[in-house]
Amino acid sequence: MEFGAERRSDELFRAERVSKSYGHIQILHDVSLVVPPRSIVGLVGENGAGKTTLFNILTGLTRPDAGAMHYRGEPYSPRAYNEAFALGISRVFQEQALVLNVPVYENLVLSQESRFTKFGQLIDRAAMISVAERIIDDAGLDIDVRRNAGAYDFSKRQAIEIARACMAPRHLMGIADPLVLLDEPTSALDRQDERTFIELLARMRQHASFVFVSHRLTEVRELCDSILVMKDGRLSAPLDPAAADEKVLHGLMVGRERADDYYHVDRQIDVDGRPIVCSVRDLSGPEFTNVSFDLRRGEVLGIGGLLDSGKSALGKAIVGVHPPLGGSVALDQAPARKPNIRNFVRNGLGYVPAERLVEGIIPSLSLAINLSLPSADHFSPYSLWRLQKERAAAAAAIRKFRIRSGSPLAPLQNLSGGNQQKVVLARWLQRDLKALVLDNPTRGVDAGAKEEIYQHIRLLTEQGVGIILITDELTELIGMANRILIMQRGRIVAELPGPREAKPSEHDLIPYMLPSAA
Amino acid sequence: MNKAGVPMSSVPDVARARKSLLSGLSPSLTERGTWLPVVVFLVLVLIFSLASPAFFTWRNLSATTGEAATLLIASLGASFVILMGSIDLSVGANVLLVGTVTVAGLKQIPDVNPGLLVLPFGAVLGGLLGAFNGSISVIGKIPSFVVTLGSLSVFTGIALSILAGATIMFDLPIFEALSLRQSIPHLPNIALCALLLWLIFIFIGARTRFGRFALLIGGGEQVARIAGIPVDRYKIYAFIVSGVTAGLAAVFAVSRLGAVGPSLGSDLLLNTIAAIVVGGTSLAGGIGGVHRTLIGVAIIVVLNNGLNLLGVGPYWQLVIKGLVVIGAVLISQDRGRGLIVK
Repeated sequence: MEFGAERRSDELFRAERVSKSYGHIQILHDVSLVVPPRSIVGLVGENGAGKTTLFNILTGLTRPDAGAMHYRGEPYSPRAYNEAFALGISRVFQEQALVLNVPVYENLVLSQESRFTKFGQLIDRAAMISVAERIIDDAGLDIDVRRNAGAYDFSKRQAIEIARACMAPRHLMGIADPLVLLDEPTSALDRQDERTFIELLARMRQHASFVFVSHRLTEVRELCDSILVMKDGRLSAPLDPAAADEKVLHGLMVGRERADDYYHVDRQIDVDGRPIVCSVRDLSGPEFTNVSFDLRRGEVLGIGGLLDSGKSALGKAIVGVHPPLGGSVALDQAPARKPNIRNFVRNGLGYVPAERLVEGIIPSLSLAINLSLPSADHFSPYSLWRLQKERAAAAAAIRKFRIRSGSPLAPLQNLSGGNQQKVVLARWLQRDLKALVLDNPTRGVDAGAKEEIYQHIRLLTEQGVGIILITDELTELIGMANRILIMQRGRIVAELPGPREAKPSEHDLIPYMLPSAA
Repeated sequence: MNKAGVPMSSVPDVARARKSLLSGLSPSLTERGTWLPVVVFLVLVLIFSLASPAFFTWRNLSATTGEAATLLIASLGASFVILMGSIDLSVGANVLLVGTVTVAGLKQIPDVNPGLLVLPFGAVLGGLLGAFNGSISVIGKIPSFVVTLGSLSVFTGIALSILAGATIMFDLPIFEALSLRQSIPHLPNIALCALLLWLIFIFIGARTRFGRFALLIGGGEQVARIAGIPVDRYKIYAFIVSGVTAGLAAVFAVSRLGAVGPSLGSDLLLNTIAAIVVGGTSLAGGIGGVHRTLIGVAIIVVLNNGLNLLGVGPYWQLVIKGLVVIGAVLISQDRGRGLIVK
């Protein structure tokens, strides 16, 4: 695409040859992009490619070293997020930024309260509510603005945030056609909510322009007018979503073609007649009831379902994070003496939680420490901690898992999401495992690291470890699992076989996941 | 990110890790901000040396190290509690109660010479008080701030009712040997003991399971729990350790003063927390450790001592010390981690 010097009427935002480096490491190389009004531009790339830095520059959190930006025909160089926001550029993060214990309407006018005050302090609540209702109506949402934001579920709250980003500039500041940057908004949504999200965005594009970052290539292709691929700080020319299929995009992102056998289906093991490593009997908890199944050596048992199906709570209960209300879990046919996570870990169970930053890693501590987290029995058999052994294990894991980190002592927060997730997985692989429970092990992980994680799962099964794979991603569920259990409202409603040569399709699964099929 | 996707800071991290001889002891010694308190300490020493001729003398060194010793010992265990993300406000009250019970007890048996047995006695008694704090906080799921604020009042009340408002003078030959005598010239034995204990606790912090779990729980309690670490048990342990060092500090304080009075330990509430935080252990937990507490103690004691020598009144000293603590937290706080709720 040519970048003419004069402003063209079909552009809302333009960046020209923007560069940024930290020290001697160049993060962005001469990045140029154009966002036409009322359009959706997709931005894809592996973690660490520079997408976040680009967003930071667009919203004034980071200053570029070189290059120019224009917004609505004017030179644009924000020094802080507030400046960007005042001009109508805002950002919706993957982690949500709503205050849960105040009403939706207050969230919708957040930071703009001064527009509703009389005599400096008295707040005109009625005016606030009426503006908030207009924002919600424009977005076509079914939400009562007087209720607390916390009363709505994750996907509804995200819709509220998007409505705020798209409509608040117009109703509060008189800015039509704002620019909204969406930073992986769908990575925590399940299929049904993803549909709702796509519909919302299709509506909102009449009022705003978007730059949309996602790892889900299907939805990027469906939603976007053009797609930009970022790799190692360089941006591709805009691609036509109709022409660029997922394989092409994947190739541009990773620098190599996506393997036809992404999930290494050929390495899936026949488990009929193999011994049972883990059996779950009538397990019940607050979010699920009477779940029973057997897991065999080397089997990948997939568990799918919507967000409220209780599958994540089930995963936590199997490993004993929370004590179950009833039922039992037995490893190698031996029921646990006390079903808590300590005993299960000791006896060869592992767990990779879904919320990496809250439950998986301690970002401020080193890779070595995060890696040895569940293995005090190994690194500290008699109260003393063996630091040399720990450091050597970390160095070995860095090599084995190709973790991109300079040192075992570097804090984990310096690593990209994919590398952090490899640490969480590697943590369990140094133990003598019988079974491993994975809850969305590739959430927020780039395509390259994803593929490596799948390889390690296959490797584990070849060593005889049983895998329970809980995931929102249907392709992953189908590709990896020997057998698929579908949960709905806390119960297993279907069991589908997934043999190498006859994998079910997404259409086979979805009907069981939706409440209408109950 | 560069082509290989190597995180930006990884190169200097390797360099720093290699450079620091102490990195084998604890990775946290290579953390940013470790050396700031050292600079502050040196600046304070410089200022007071120039301002007061009495500051940089052997006499003053012996006097201040004696004072610093009690504070250091009392802060050792509490460092683990703060590193774990909890807080122990009852350290001073623990010192008062253990000191009072020890002395009042010894008064009852005038014919018995306990010798060094007073130390384990103080440690066990202090440890029991710490176990009380820890168990209630963990089992009752009450913030440690509230529990130790309550026990601060309970311990103080019991001690004052035993003392009945009076000061009990007391002396033992062993007390003199413990505190005033100098095995190393100009360094009172009490300071020597404190330094040895500090070294032992550094080892505990860096090389034992207890030290590691304290760091993990402070860094991410939920993460630690999900990895199967017995979080609750180790939280109680930390409070017991805090109580043990408070009990030891009580015996040392009594031996140095030769008396127990109602004001024993009253300055330790602020001073222990000040020393730990000024040293660089984060109130949010997970950053720092007992190795940093010595420099914090040094800063607090030099500040006290220097202000005394300059003739600053005790009330203004309180004002200055309070501001120093708040300032230290302002500087060290990682604001990315959100609010602290104790």
